[in-house]
Amino acid sequence: MAASGHSPAITMNGGQKLAMKYFTVAIALFGAQCLFGMLAGIQYLHPDFLFGILDFSINRMLHINAMIVWLLFGFIGSVYWLLEDEAGVPIVGLPLAKLIFWVFTLAVVVVVLVFLLVQIGPGKQSTIWLITEGREYIEAPRWADIGIVVCVLAFFYNVAATFARGRFTHIGGVLVMDLVALAGIYLAGMFYTPNISMDQHWWWWVIHLWVEATWEVLVGCLMAYGLIKTMGVRRQIVETWLYIEVALMFGSGILGLGHHYFWIGTPEYWFTIGGFFSALEPIPLVAMVVHAVFDAGHHKLKSANNPALAWIIAQAFGNFFGAGVWGFMHTLPQINLYTHGTQWTASHGHLAFFGAYATMVIAFLYIALQKWRGNVWMGGNLVGAWKWKWAIFLLHAGMITMVMAMLISGYEQSQIERAIEGSTWMGYFAAQGHRWFLQGMYWRQIGGWVFSAGFVLLAWDLLTIGKRETRSALQVPGE
Amino acid sequence: MLEPVKLANFFIVFFSAAAVILFGATYALIFAWSRIKARPGLMPLAYVAYMGLFISVLVLAFAAHLFHNELWSFIVLLMLAGYLIAPHAIWHLCIGTHAETEAAPSLNISQQH
Repeated sequence: MAASGHSPAITMNGGQKLAMKYFTVAIALFGAQCLFGMLAGIQYLHPDFLFGILDFSINRMLHINAMIVWLLFGFIGSVYWLLEDEAGVPIVGLPLAKLIFWVFTLAVVVVVLVFLLVQIGPGKQSTIWLITEGREYIEAPRWADIGIVVCVLAFFYNVAATFARGRFTHIGGVLVMDLVALAGIYLAGMFYTPNISMDQHWWWWVIHLWVEATWEVLVGCLMAYGLIKTMGVRRQIVETWLYIEVALMFGSGILGLGHHYFWIGTPEYWFTIGGFFSALEPIPLVAMVVHAVFDAGHHKLKSANNPALAWIIAQAFGNFFGAGVWGFMHTLPQINLYTHGTQWTASHGHLAFFGAYATMVIAFLYIALQKWRGNVWMGGNLVGAWKWKWAIFLLHAGMITMVMAMLISGYEQSQIERAIEGSTWMGYFAAQGHRWFLQGMYWRQIGGWVFSAGFVLLAWDLLTIGKRETRSALQVPGE
Repeated sequence: MLEPVKLANFFIVFFSAAAVILFGATYALIFAWSRIKARPGLMPLAYVAYMGLFISVLVLAFAAHLFHNELWSFIVLLMLAGYLIAPHAIWHLCIGTHAETEAAPSLNISQQH
């Protein structure tokens, strides 16, 4: 993406040039996520596939970690993109930011290579430091953990110092506070206790609070900026709603953490706390429906960037269905007892992550590319518009197929493995060998192929969109 | 304190829980649409959707044995009240936040209260 041509007539600031580098790595890692996900999916159907060469455990780990890291690169890039624009001054410490980008990218490459080259071995103290920590979703070795915190702290310095020197907008204020949490909460996943319940207790701070709280707020900030830029929504309205939505999300979301504490050995009161806040968690989403309709009625949905707007709308729906509907279906402990850790959870995870986060990063890529290509027209009748339209269709069709297939497999697992067989070892295999489970995995693989085709088309579109456009972008009022 | 769902009720729980959210969104959507387009005739439909939510919550509560415990019964009541009030509260916030910056269009909407 960074290698493709752009008009020299449009001046990009330092942060935006850096952002394009982050976006390039993000898309490459998105491709890696698809690749390793496809390989892991094939291994569900043919367990001998690549056995001893690239084991399922490694594929799954790379699939999930690639997702976390590509979204992180996308978020960091998006923030660098808007930073100078929002603050009204050049980025403070830009050379540091550039250095950190290369350090972060190099660290990711090294970690992936080590995962691939050292797939099995003894679990010693040096393994934790150099190979893998072995903790699901945050398997990166300790040196990389420390590196992530250093990178996020440097990123925080860039953002906070730039806003402090320039204009401290409300979007900027929320963003800076959120980055404190982004750096701080990750620390909870960096120490062990000999008690597995306590260990899981803190681990969930990273998995739930880091991802479901700090990322949600970050996406809220990006959405606010995106709405100003693509639709010209007034800043005062967007910023007021940013506060309201952050309050609603935190009000129900922080203690919604309790639904992860049901089965890890924590005290019984977490059933009530988790159930209570999980029941309330979808209310902000329902409330957002009202606000979206209100806004659509007020602003005539005239957009300067149709692909970005389409992905922002996809974000609203994806977040609602993935996090809201798919989450609440199995969040109360009375039913979660049977579904926790089955393909049901995977179904929810896939739709929620794609719907809430991937969509927003992709929307931002299109906002960035519009300027990168010379602030060109990206409204109706865009040259080559079929590519972004087919990409969004294929990615969603593939994702929905995968999600429905995993739902069926998860339903079968919760019935046979959990309810009938009582979570026994034999029950696990009985469920894994059942034809409903296998049919679900088969359809999941088909969905994966469709999704991957959508990714290829998306990458092609990102490389080419706007190149043949000669018209200038539609001017939206904004600010 | 916690009574797991019976095997026969799995589907009912999943389906009713999904219906809670979907009816909640439908209620919010029709409610807001009725107000923004000044079409009060649509409002009864919004409350029909809320009735769907109400029934779904009760079905979920019975299937998941939520009424067997006072605390869980309270959560059921809170869900019913929360989903009923949320669109009203957010609508007032919409009016308030937009009125400060867009005096003319918001005046028209405010008059519907």
